[in-house]
Amino acid sequence: MALLMEKGTEPQTESELADLDAISALKESAAIELKEEGNKYVKMGKKHYSEAIKCYTRAINQKALSDTETSILFSNRAHVNLLLGNYGRALSDSEEAIKLSPANVKAFYRAAKASLSLNKLVEAKAFSEKGLDQNPDNEELKTLKKQIDSQISELQQREAQVSKALKTAKDLVSAIEDRELKIGQATFQKLSGLKKPILDKDHILHWPVLLLYAEVMSSDFIEDFCETDMFSAHLGLISFSHSAEPLPWDKENAYTRDAIELYYEAGSGVCLSKKEIISNFLQGTVASHLETFGDDETDTVKSFPKGISSVGNNRSKWVKVNERRTLNAVLKEPNFVIPGIPVFFVVSKRSSFYKDFKSGNWSLPS
Amino acid sequence: MANEMEELIGFLSSPSPQVKKAAVDIVRGLTGSEEGLQSLASYSKTVLPSLSRLLGENKEVSELATEALVNLSQNSDLAAKMIEMGFIKTTMDILYKQGCEITGLLVMLLVNLTQLDAGVESLLQVGDDKVQGLYVMKLVRSFCTSSSEKEDDPFGHVGSILVNVSKNKAGRTLLLDPKRGLLKQIIRQFDSTSLLRKKGVSGTIRNCCFEADNQLQNLLLISEFLWPALLLPVAGNKVYNEQDTSKMPLELGSALSIEREPVSNPEIRIQALEAIYLITLQGAGRRAFWSVNGPRILQIGYEEEEDTKVMGAYEQIGSLLVEGNDTEEGSTQTSS
Repeated sequence: MALLMEKGTEPQTESELADLDAISALKESAAIELKEEGNKYVKMGKKHYSEAIKCYTRAINQKALSDTETSILFSNRAHVNLLLGNYGRALSDSEEAIKLSPANVKAFYRAAKASLSLNKLVEAKAFSEKGLDQNPDNEELKTLKKQIDSQISELQQREAQVSKALKTAKDLVSAIEDRELKIGQATFQKLSGLKKPILDKDHILHWPVLLLYAEVMSSDFIEDFCETDMFSAHLGLISFSHSAEPLPWDKENAYTRDAIELYYEAGSGVCLSKKEIISNFLQGTVASHLETFGDDETDTVKSFPKGISSVGNNRSKWVKVNERRTLNAVLKEPNFVIPGIPVFFVVSKRSSFYKDFKSGNWSLPS
Repeated sequence: MANEMEELIGFLSSPSPQVKKAAVDIVRGLTGSEEGLQSLASYSKTVLPSLSRLLGENKEVSELATEALVNLSQNSDLAAKMIEMGFIKTTMDILYKQGCEITGLLVMLLVNLTQLDAGVESLLQVGDDKVQGLYVMKLVRSFCTSSSEKEDDPFGHVGSILVNVSKNKAGRTLLLDPKRGLLKQIIRQFDSTSLLRKKGVSGTIRNCCFEADNQLQNLLLISEFLWPALLLPVAGNKVYNEQDTSKMPLELGSALSIEREPVSNPEIRIQALEAIYLITLQGAGRRAFWSVNGPRILQIGYEEEEDTKVMGAYEQIGSLLVEGNDTEEGSTQTSS
């Protein structure tokens, strides 16, 4: 009997035809046997899964079964692949099974499950829906679809949060640009942490402001300093009001409302680029992982309005703040580079430290 | 066979300078009366372009031509036709040509043309992205760098153009744009002794405050200049004491600590109060107003006010502030 047909030689005789039939039948029963062997292996547990796969594969390669039956083979193999965590193969097997027999419910289920594990949520949803179209009462499919739907909505929520965080950061940067403010590297991050300015619904900026008592390098915070507020209004509320106790380290009670003066450090530092500023504002939000921000203007590293980097002989210049000005008016000063958030140094006219400070002999401890 | 009017209009383009001058003189005379104007109006298609061509000629002729056009432009139909014919561009081109001798008249022509919205849009150059706002910027610069001390103050009427421009939303947005800083420049002209300029500035600021509901930051961020311009006219005449001025920002406090000229024009006082009202309608606006001790200033100004209309404007703000009182007075508290 020739098993390989040479070209041009068609089976002619009855006996040849009978032989072919016999071969077919043999192959068919072999395939069925292999399928059952595979099923047995699966029942035997994890250690035998790869054997099961081999059986199913050999059964498929017989090419002896009907489409419906072959679909079951693919679907079974998909099942084992799912159990083994071979989601890619499970998906392609399920898809093949569906092609061969669109009525194969299990195939739809396994296709959906594999897609879900691969995070292909759109495909997973489609498979589960098609499966339910054919079998609206299938409980497993129903449960799976619910699971897919909830993952999709979770993803959408997260994406919405991320874009909201990005928009907030971009709006902030835009407001800063409009006001022609200069932002530099944050200098007191241990104290200020991740604090950032806020833009309220009237598009007015509120800044967290750090006050440093230069004499002892202790600090205080003004959590919400609206840019249209004057300094005098806020200073009247902190430790210096007449009724309050003097600061614990202020042995001589030099730091009273009438004696204190506020200074900022002029010309200190290089301005950050727009991209760096957005990136900083995203720290501590759900969008902190973003590297690009969606428009060329921001992504190319361009420098912000030119700031004056350190003044000549490396000595910082201390500029006194007139309390009867608004925060915005002071921040706008051309020599003010905001170190992340505004920082102001507090000294007392009555303290012995004052002379050192004013003479320029004092500088920030590094 | 041309009739008399057609002949006259034809003479406007005559090659003979004497004929031309005589013709434009007659036309100018006609525009001075209602009947004359109406009779010219029916020939607008020919007389307007002819007059426009004369704008570039020597002063004798161009002055008369411009006067005629200024009169004609008081009629809104004719103004509309002029705008369609591109008169804004023509006028601006000649205005800014070297050695222009009819500046004041050309500016007045623009005032009339911008009474119509189409005129404002044409002046704003809304269609053209590249040059949008350029004309307005030029006019503002001329307004702010010229002084009213010159006898005729040719650019004094630019203030009125700006009032018209600010009636248009795109105009307001342009003026408020922080990057161009136009409103900031304009406000400074408030100190001018010229009533014309003061009125122009006051009216422009008031109109711009209609954007307080969505561009409040553009107003508040120039508050250093804005508050003095709005509050000084309505602060009464007395010198303020230290207790009151210490709660105000420096510029405002110092200005109120000295003797000053009262703003006698009630219209300006009303406009200032209306502007303040528009700002204080917004929460952040009220807060900023409190932080400069604004309510105290209005209280003192109101006591001295005698004009009933102006008093009404004070009262309108007063009721707003009373409503918001609890939240705003303590609004300088630091919040967590």
